[in-house]
Amino acid sequence: MAMTQAILQAGRNEMAGSVLRADEPRIRIRDVTLSYGALQIIGGISIDIAPGESICVIGPSGCGKTTLLRMLAGLARPTSGAVELDGSVLGGPDRSVAIVFQDYGKALLPWRTAAGNVSLALEARGCPAKERPAIIRELLEKIGLGRHADKYPSEMSGGMQQRLQIARCLAQEPKVLLMDEPFGALDAMTRQALQDEVLSLVATTGATMVFVTHDLEEAIYLGDRIVCLQPNPGRVGRMVDVRLARPRDQLVTREDPEFLRLRRELYDLIKDDHQ
Amino acid sequence: MKAVLRNSWRAALLPVAVILVAQIAATVTQLESDSLASPLAIVSAFFSILADGSLMRATQDTLMAAFCGCVLGVCAGSLLGVVLGLFRLADDLLDLTIELLRPVPVVALIPVVMMLLGFGARMEIVIIALGLLWPSVVLARAAVKDVEPRLMEVSAVLQLRFSARLTKIVLPAILPQLFMSLKLAAGYALVVAVTVEITANPFGLGYGIMMAQQALRPAEMFAYLIWIGAIGWLVSLMLDAVQRRFFPAFSRGETR
Amino acid sequence: MSHLSMRKLVLGILGLAAFILVWKAVTDAKLVSPIFFPSPERTWAALVKGLAGGPLLAQTVETIQRMLLGWLLASLVGIMLGALIGISRRARVFIAPTLELLRPLPASAMIPIAIAFLGFSDQMVLVVIAFGALWPMLLATIHGFSAMEPRLYEVSAVLGLNRLQVIWKLALPSALPMILASLRLGLTISLILAVVGEMLASREGLGQSILLASRSFRSADLFAGIVILGAIGLVGSRLLSMAERRLLRWQAAAR
Repeated sequence: MAMTQAILQAGRNEMAGSVLRADEPRIRIRDVTLSYGALQIIGGISIDIAPGESICVIGPSGCGKTTLLRMLAGLARPTSGAVELDGSVLGGPDRSVAIVFQDYGKALLPWRTAAGNVSLALEARGCPAKERPAIIRELLEKIGLGRHADKYPSEMSGGMQQRLQIARCLAQEPKVLLMDEPFGALDAMTRQALQDEVLSLVATTGATMVFVTHDLEEAIYLGDRIVCLQPNPGRVGRMVDVRLARPRDQLVTREDPEFLRLRRELYDLIKDDHQ
Repeated sequence: MKAVLRNSWRAALLPVAVILVAQIAATVTQLESDSLASPLAIVSAFFSILADGSLMRATQDTLMAAFCGCVLGVCAGSLLGVVLGLFRLADDLLDLTIELLRPVPVVALIPVVMMLLGFGARMEIVIIALGLLWPSVVLARAAVKDVEPRLMEVSAVLQLRFSARLTKIVLPAILPQLFMSLKLAAGYALVVAVTVEITANPFGLGYGIMMAQQALRPAEMFAYLIWIGAIGWLVSLMLDAVQRRFFPAFSRGETR
Repeated sequence: MSHLSMRKLVLGILGLAAFILVWKAVTDAKLVSPIFFPSPERTWAALVKGLAGGPLLAQTVETIQRMLLGWLLASLVGIMLGALIGISRRARVFIAPTLELLRPLPASAMIPIAIAFLGFSDQMVLVVIAFGALWPMLLATIHGFSAMEPRLYEVSAVLGLNRLQVIWKLALPSALPMILASLRLGLTISLILAVVGEMLASREGLGQSILLASRSFRSADLFAGIVILGAIGLVGSRLLSMAERRLLRWQAAAR
């Protein structure tokens, strides 16, 4: 276990090195605004996200976190400005950008088994029927659902359903993984297990991640960088770099003085916004 | 408000277009047919059967039969349903028999009742009542079984007598469902009434439309058809309004 | 089988036996004239005779054929048309209100119109059956499509499914519970309209058979016909329930 983690870390560091060399970001959010009629939801956000980087977005409710994420997924169109993926403007949903919704109960097909739900993503990208079972098995193993391939979502716990949704996203082989408060509805233990799962998945696949959450500790634990949004209209209030060692550990990392300092800093920021 | 207006002109577009196209086609081809009529001819036929009183008489006959049959069938069926819902022994005893009797199509009873009662309103009422009986039984039984068990426990703790339990707990609890059942039954009663009149009984709207066809008066036939549709629509609209007025929570839940 | 359902079965059979005994007692005591109301034995005898060598078997086959053909036609047209209207929001806005307006129209009221066009023919009966059974399926498919979880449309957009895939893999399965329920309702309507059509247009089948039996006061034959019609309805709805349970296993799992 320790050895695989060491290898993972090596891979990660290598990637971090390549980030420094590349001047092309994976995602460039270029002065994006979004209004519904007279109501401005998002008022001018610009962020560059490097390949392999993990960004966490926090902020009070109504600050446009989810809207921002939906624009990155191509599900909402900016009123002005643009979202660029690898240098070209994103005009709509793109298979290389996967999104994990918070409401797993609505985003899974209740009439398909776990394997069938993963299969949907493979069918969408035209993967030949013969190759699908092996890929599905591998993905379900990876996410810890190997023994539950034939279960329907209704027979699974919330945590298992959310794992399944992540597995379906991985089947897209995404360059960018978007997560919209994915663990908000889960209990604390399941949530921690899934956080570690996500960390290791991001490390092995090298995917870029944008993770929306309202949980400060979750943001610090997962992110390389934290974007604090402010409401009315939504805009970037602050960017905070997270300089915590990887691989991270639920106990060690959370007791790191830097972790505690960051938590304090972010807490004060958010609290000010609420007042 | 603007959205409502926009939606209603969108909803009206298709029927209006159909009527216009039909009228234009009829005018251009100088329609002379035993089976088709132009919209204008249908309107004038409607006013002539309205003027000579035949339409109102037929409407009254059909609605009266449908109403009586509906009340009879729903009352008898609901009563049986409540009894079956309250007493498990009775339910278990009759369940199989009801399951076997229920699928008999109601129109198959037309010859039987006709043989027993001859033509007329009585025969039609009995057939309608028989047609509504089983659905009412099933709905009332399900409603009673759905009564919150906690309420039944309350009535047991209070040591209510059976009659008090029925009138104070069970009936009020199932009233919305009983109304729902009545609403479904009303629509169905109209359908059965028209069917009986078309098939056998020489009175009412069904007979009127059949006679118009037999006399090769297509305009009158379509006038009857549209009128029958309008009546069904009005009845369901009225019952919806009553339901919204008296059982607002229930009708909200239904549309969800 | 569990103890509970055993009790249900035994009591159910007891109840049925009591029902038949009451029927027998009523006819034996001549409370109703036997001309109108046959005893259970006479009904049974007429049933056996009619099915063994008499015309009943051929008439049953005829009625079932008519019912199934009309039902299949209605299912095909209803589901396909419903899918086309249901998948497009714009089509729904323009067409659905008209369909809702036409829904309360009794299917039997269309019989005279069908007669005007097709005369007293087999095609007329078929058209009436298909038209009557069409409505529930058409409306259920449209409703099922429009009730699809909006999140699933987003999932399909993110995964890059094309329109055909969305219909086939998302919308149809999610509308399936409603469609299956409407198929059962449609079958009931088909049987009713098959009988009505046969009575009115004097087409070979059970409907005509029971009408003729009642006209010549052969009450045993009349009741035998009714028993078969009930059996057809029962078997039809049972078969469809079984299919429903199989196809909707994923729903059963939730309970």
